[in-house]
Amino acid sequence: MKAFEEKWTAWLDDQLSGRELSEFEASLPDKAAAQAEKADAKKLSELLKRELTAYPLKNEEFFSHQLREKIVQESGEEARERARRSPTSSWWTIPRLLWAGTASLAVFLICTVLVVRQERPAEESQYLTQILNARVDPVVSPNATVSIFEVKQDHATVLWTEGLQSLPADYAAK
Amino acid sequence: MQTEATLAQSDVSELDLVKRCQAGETEPFDELVTRYRTRVFGMIYNMVHSEQDAWDLAQESFLKAWKSIGRFRGQSSFYTWIYRIVMNVTIDWLRKKQVRGGGAEFDDAIQLREIDPASRTVPKTEALPHQAMERDEIRARIEKAIGQLSPEHRAVILMKEIDEMQYHEIAEALGCSIGTVMSRLFYARKKLQSLLRDVYESV
Repeated sequence: MKAFEEKWTAWLDDQLSGRELSEFEASLPDKAAAQAEKADAKKLSELLKRELTAYPLKNEEFFSHQLREKIVQESGEEARERARRSPTSSWWTIPRLLWAGTASLAVFLICTVLVVRQERPAEESQYLTQILNARVDPVVSPNATVSIFEVKQDHATVLWTEGLQSLPADYAAK
Repeated sequence: MQTEATLAQSDVSELDLVKRCQAGETEPFDELVTRYRTRVFGMIYNMVHSEQDAWDLAQESFLKAWKSIGRFRGQSSFYTWIYRIVMNVTIDWLRKKQVRGGGAEFDDAIQLREIDPASRTVPKTEALPHQAMERDEIRARIEKAIGQLSPEHRAVILMKEIDEMQYHEIAEALGCSIGTVMSRLFYARKKLQSLLRDVYESV
């Protein structure tokens, strides 16, 4: 359902036809006044067309030239902006540096805690400590191997030696 | 307005030009600017009544069109599409100007100074000085009357009367319904009739 304004506009512009036209004209209280207003609107339309059409654009070529320059300038600025935001940029921003520093510090602390935990010395008997402190002279016994087996739950340690030429006189647990 | 044949031809090549622009070429855009710069400038001039402002706004409109041409899908003609940009830019500018200037954007003194020997309002032949002056006065009256319309009403009446656009084209260019266009036309005409009756009755 069109509003009156829409129907009136369509009627002025001769866009109504058939039943719609006859119905609209029949609904007008004063057809003569409406026709006079329609004639007024036509005069207004003619006046506007006559007086306002085609205001000239002077310096058309300069207009295009100026626009071309602006486009080139804008394109250059956009390219620079893209390059600035590009991940391949060699310049790190301050927030990035801060994040990288914080992350590095956190990784360092985690590693330190893990290493310190792993390297906590196991409980060793004084006997084992003494054996481990002993040296096998590679000149005297070049093929010597010393293996240590430790079973903590049984509180037992086995020292296995092979290829010794001779045991030093002082090699004994005290 | 163009005939259907020329319209169809220009539409085909226009679409081709747009596609090349979308591929990053600038020369086709130059061609599109050449086709529409006069109409766009003329329309903006009739909206803002200042040659310098019309120039700047036309430049801004075309620059915006270039930046957003990638989004043009060809669902409407390029002309309608660019008109939408032109209208957005111009109406926005008029609104801001009205806010800055407290709504009084028309100045008689400024209008009457614009008697340019090269202007269309002074025919190159025949016109006598008093006739030229009379036409300038009429034009000033019309511009003053149009200046009293809201930006939206101004746009609608100019697109309909000067550019002879169809209701649906105007609606597309302004991003509103056809009913709104017709309603705005109704009120714009009523206002102009009341302001310019003596002019069109005497001419």
